Amino acid sequence: MDLTNAFDELQRNVNADIDQVTLARDRRDIFKKAFKGEDDVLEVFGSGSLARSTQLRPVHDVDLIVVFDGDKHPGWGAPGTSAEDALGHAQDRVKALLGMADGRVDQLVRLAKPRDRAVKCFIDPPEQDDAFTVDVMPVLRQPDETLLLPSKRNKQWNTADPEYLIKEVAAQQRKWAFFRPLVRVLKHWRLGVPTKVKSLVIEVLALQCLPTEGNRQNALKSFFTSSAVEVGYGVEDPAKRCGPIQPDLDISILRTALEEARNLAELACAAAADGKTDEAGMYWRDIFGDDFPESSSENHVGAAASAAVVTPRVVKDAPQG
Amino acid sequence: MGAIIALSIGNGPVIPTPLEPKNHFLCSGDTCSGQLWYRADPDLHAMWWNARRLNKACQLEAFKNCIAGGWRNPPSTGSYLALTFSPDAPAKFPDVDITEFAAWLVTAEGVTPVAVEVQSSKVGMAQLSATWPTKTMSEISVLVIGLGSIGGAAAHALAEYGVGTLRLLDPDRLLAHNLVRHVGPPEGVGRLKVDVIKQQLAALRADTVVETHPWDVIESAHLVRGLLLSVDLVLCAADGVAARRVVSHLARRAKKDAVLACVLADGSFGEVIRLRPWHDHGCLVCRRATLADKGGIDPEPGLDAGYGTGTTHRPMTAVGGDLHLLGRLAAKTAVATVLERRGHTDQKLPGEHLLLALRPEIGWAPPFDLTRNGETRWLPHTPPRPGCPTCEPA
Repeated sequence: MDLTNAFDELQRNVNADIDQVTLARDRRDIFKKAFKGEDDVLEVFGSGSLARSTQLRPVHDVDLIVVFDGDKHPGWGAPGTSAEDALGHAQDRVKALLGMADGRVDQLVRLAKPRDRAVKCFIDPPEQDDAFTVDVMPVLRQPDETLLLPSKRNKQWNTADPEYLIKEVAAQQRKWAFFRPLVRVLKHWRLGVPTKVKSLVIEVLALQCLPTEGNRQNALKSFFTSSAVEVGYGVEDPAKRCGPIQPDLDISILRTALEEARNLAELACAAAADGKTDEAGMYWRDIFGDDFPESSSENHVGAAASAAVVTPRVVKDAPQG
Repeated sequence: MGAIIALSIGNGPVIPTPLEPKNHFLCSGDTCSGQLWYRADPDLHAMWWNARRLNKACQLEAFKNCIAGGWRNPPSTGSYLALTFSPDAPAKFPDVDITEFAAWLVTAEGVTPVAVEVQSSKVGMAQLSATWPTKTMSEISVLVIGLGSIGGAAAHALAEYGVGTLRLLDPDRLLAHNLVRHVGPPEGVGRLKVDVIKQQLAALRADTVVETHPWDVIESAHLVRGLLLSVDLVLCAADGVAARRVVSHLARRAKKDAVLACVLADGSFGEVIRLRPWHDHGCLVCRRATLADKGGIDPEPGLDAGYGTGTTHRPMTAVGGDLHLLGRLAAKTAVATVLERRGHTDQKLPGEHLLLALRPEIGWAPPFDLTRNGETRWLPHTPPRPGCPTCEPA
């Protein structure tokens, strides 16, 4: 198998099942339709990885932002209990519009439970592993187009701009058709890092560090090189509204993992440049694990040992003064 | 040696083609007219290429047969220079380096090929874009603090790497005694060092925009803070402990990488330190303190002096060539730092702290126990020390 096909197979292994994605979008659209009919709702739109098309398998949640009319909820946006009030209002509307017992628009939601910032709406039984949920977040639009998000826990509202990342990811995708697919690959890669790395951390690093041209191999090599450095400066909200994305991130562990991937990607690209496709595939498999297909002649020996089989290239005596 | 400074077609008007730059030495040479240019068959340029290779003249008749029109016979006892233009020649002979222009000395006895150099419309760093990230480099901005012998050489090297914008900061003027080591020329004596370098780079490296700030980094720390926001990296080649400490502090607070270069032990060693504003990388003071604890370095008497104080100058003990070498290494370190961050895997460095033996003697404590000229040693970073006012969050 050549490397192009191998990367295609990796992509298929990482991508969410298309039926799952379609189902998730259909469910989201039912919520959108329901809330758009409300008198106090100005806008409804999807957020999160599904809105950015960077979702991983399995798809078991959808984020929905409902922009309410501040004039009709004059107390909202102020510190205190208004954040909880907004979540309570959203919960009541979900029940009325989509409750399984007597939803006016559809009967989809088994349980609607306010969390810190959103109402988690269970469509599958809540006790089920990876139960499918829709997270409905009631927000207010500010004059500068940013959003005010409630926090029940902190009894306050915070400024955020989730549409910024949606737009930026779409812009990168317009430049390079492999952008979103490789973001999914990288989000999948992070699951093998020996510390918790939020998927948004990788999405933001990809926005900063993943090139939008060339082939996938060189782009990944460049990503690992760049992000192994970039992570040292901290990973913050690209819209510059919310500060660090994961304050408890163990940067040292993530940096080490990125450096290891960078070193392997460097070997893979060097092998590929020398026409040693199987050798290159071995290195990519060391990075991405079993989701990257095994090469035909591979006797897999692991990264450390495989590094030793690289055939040194001989420098040609063609001096340049 | 000559240059075309005007041309005409047939008996049409003479159109000037002035030489660039205006101070080119040929601009003050003699002018002579009566030379000719012809449109020519591509085969003539193949003949030119072959005749130059064999160091032979061509027959006048063969030359004449390849000329499109307007032929003029050479005088019986003299000669003229002819430039031939054959735009189809490169395409007709793709395997050899046949150019669209060729030059000849035409006499009644024969025609001798003459070397010709055509100035390319593609100039500057763009010529290297196939093999060097010139576009990325053109978007990079570096603040150089200290434009002495190391800093001046570093500024030149940064421009040679294609850095798009250099911001130069130094309050000093170039003095006569600096000339023995500085990249600045004698005619620059009395001018601000930042202006001397700016003028040199304007002439040599037009791709680089140079801004000057004749400030002292300590006295103008409040201004430097603002300046740091607009740069990707700061390269410090300032004299003395205090200025380097200030740069280390300001760069870390601004979340900018810093590269510091100096010579130590009266020129025995060169040192390039990279400071990254990362949570597990210590600042300059932390690094020096860690090294001092291990007995590797003797703290400068002014190290613990108050902000803005301390020893500033060492006497002239190092030689210019060594200082320039350090400046260039610092520039390479700076460029590697910004390019690695942008995904260029070939720009990884082996460590964060380079020692280079310039005039080593036996007996220095580790890590300065380098014994051979040119020997290098890369050291890792050291972590922040508890209570460090630079490394701990503000």
